[in-house]
Amino acid sequence: MWAARVDEGYVFGGLHTSTVETLKGVPMLLETSDVRVRERLLPETCDDPEDEAQWRRHSVPELERLFLSRAQLVRRDLLGMRRLAGADAHVLLIPDGHTSAWLAALNAARLALFVLNDLTAAQMDVDGLTTASPKQQEAILRIHLLAEVQSVLLGDFEIDDSGQSFDEFVRE
Amino acid sequence: MPTVNVRAATKEQTETKTRPETQLAPPWNVIVIDDPVTLMTYVTKVFMQVFGYAQDKATRLMMEVHKTGRSVVWTGAREQAEIYAQKLQAHHLLTSLEVVDA
Repeated sequence: MWAARVDEGYVFGGLHTSTVETLKGVPMLLETSDVRVRERLLPETCDDPEDEAQWRRHSVPELERLFLSRAQLVRRDLLGMRRLAGADAHVLLIPDGHTSAWLAALNAARLALFVLNDLTAAQMDVDGLTTASPKQQEAILRIHLLAEVQSVLLGDFEIDDSGQSFDEFVRE
Repeated sequence: MPTVNVRAATKEQTETKTRPETQLAPPWNVIVIDDPVTLMTYVTKVFMQVFGYAQDKATRLMMEVHKTGRSVVWTGAREQAEIYAQKLQAHHLLTSLEVVDA
């Protein structure tokens, strides 16, 4: 996977089948009704049962609506993925205006993969793969892949600016 | 004299009634709890975005979460604390609220 800047935002390229599948899983993980994921994304917030009930009544429905609208936005961007001429990989544009939504959605997806695969904090470390089952290893790799996308959007890497629009960039 | 007694009783009742009304509500803490998945730079960015903290302060709080497992990132009125907690959870930071002990 590579990344570049275009006028509209960040372009991610070299996206092969497994990466595309991982990215397509992001909105699905945000929308899942799995209890473990819901417990992590909408955690118990107040110790006092009355305060917690009030939190559930007032704040949680708004958060749920926000997560769903983010999932829709991410899905729309994913539908715009293109295959470059002569290449067997896809490119994805994440417009600057969508960066915040993508960052949060990617975080949610990573957290969801973590809980759905019963991963531990130790397994997220450098040598965590050694203690993980094959299914967990795949989940860890997906979590790290999504972290790379997050890191680009956070500006953690120096990314070349093409000085072109997305259309010009993909035509080349 | 009965008149004096009535005055004394009225004063005492007034004091008893007004004291709880003037008592200030306790402040609430907004607490962020460490998780092994969320990127450190993301946590810093969220603190800057949600609270308007400078990078130095946001980084210091993020490191406190990372090293000690939790950090009180804001303290104040309940309503504002709830707004902040909701914004942090919107970014999927593990957040809880607690009343500050008197």
